[in-house]
Amino acid sequence: MVLVILRTAILFFTLLLIMRLMGKRQIGEMQPFELVITLLIAELACIPMADASIPLLYGVVSVVTIFVLHEIMTLLDLKLKPMKSLISGKPSVVINKNGIDEYQLKRNSLDISDLIESLRTAGFFSLDSVDYALYEANGQFSALPKENYEELQTSLPLVIVESGNFDRKNLAFTGLGEAYFREILQGEGVKKIKEVLVLTADGTGKLYLQLKGEKFRVLRVSYPDGVTW
Amino acid sequence: MVKSLTAILLATALLFGLGLFEWQFVKGEFAGFAEEAQSLFEKAEQSSASVEDAKAVQTAWETRKARLHVWIPHNDIARIDEYMAESVRLIGEKDFSRALAKLEIVLHLTACIPGTYRPAIENIF
Repeated sequence: MVLVILRTAILFFTLLLIMRLMGKRQIGEMQPFELVITLLIAELACIPMADASIPLLYGVVSVVTIFVLHEIMTLLDLKLKPMKSLISGKPSVVINKNGIDEYQLKRNSLDISDLIESLRTAGFFSLDSVDYALYEANGQFSALPKENYEELQTSLPLVIVESGNFDRKNLAFTGLGEAYFREILQGEGVKKIKEVLVLTADGTGKLYLQLKGEKFRVLRVSYPDGVTW
Repeated sequence: MVKSLTAILLATALLFGLGLFEWQFVKGEFAGFAEEAQSLFEKAEQSSASVEDAKAVQTAWETRKARLHVWIPHNDIARIDEYMAESVRLIGEKDFSRALAKLEIVLHLTACIPGTYRPAIENIF
């Protein structure tokens, strides 16, 4: 019995640690410890139910242990601020006034595509349409839009360069070649494509460029032959 | 807050109380059965054990077994069941040397099984 209690507690804390290390990508609308409990409780109930060689009491004991751990975690989460950030994590500000915070993205095992997807889900299609964006501790995405954000997203922006690599599919969609964008980047003082964190282009000729470790800039260009999308 | 603390304390006390009871109960049951099995073993060593003696030990085990099923995995109990049944048969046939080998295993299991539920590092991991 004591063995079951100890083993349940060890597995609980191991899973909680792993969930915290995995970052926000693995969590959705639940605190990490709540997700761990959800993962564990169904299995704990099922094993003695299906395996007649295990006393039913083992299942009951491990589920009660999970209940105790849940209550302890909830109390620590509510009453002790330092423990709250340790158990549940902290919100990560991934877009600020300078643009995308690459470090915060990496810390949460996310990339630019994930961020753009989250922005689109939240109703923001252009990276410059928000002043701040953050992933909450429970993995939910929140953004503070600019005042005139609707005017800033009149056309669908496509990712042309992401983390130093051209997106071939989007390049083909625009009908503009790699050389065209390389020329623009050279004009902006970019020597190597690897320096580019993100470059997006929308159908009206607005480009969002952010180099690694630098503030973002918005450029206005005219596409050749009246290209638009 | 008070409700949560009460729930935590009560559930923890219940769990550890149950754990302590289980440890004492399993140890006690196996110690009692070990004495019975030991006396049968000694009789078998002297070739004086009868099938009635063996069946009496088996019946006593059956009674303990019914209580132990609540606390320990049924596979552990089944192992003792098998060796006990073989011992009864061999004693009935007066094949004491083979019966002693089976009873030796019963005694060994009786000594080992309670230890596997002890909260020790080797049992936890």
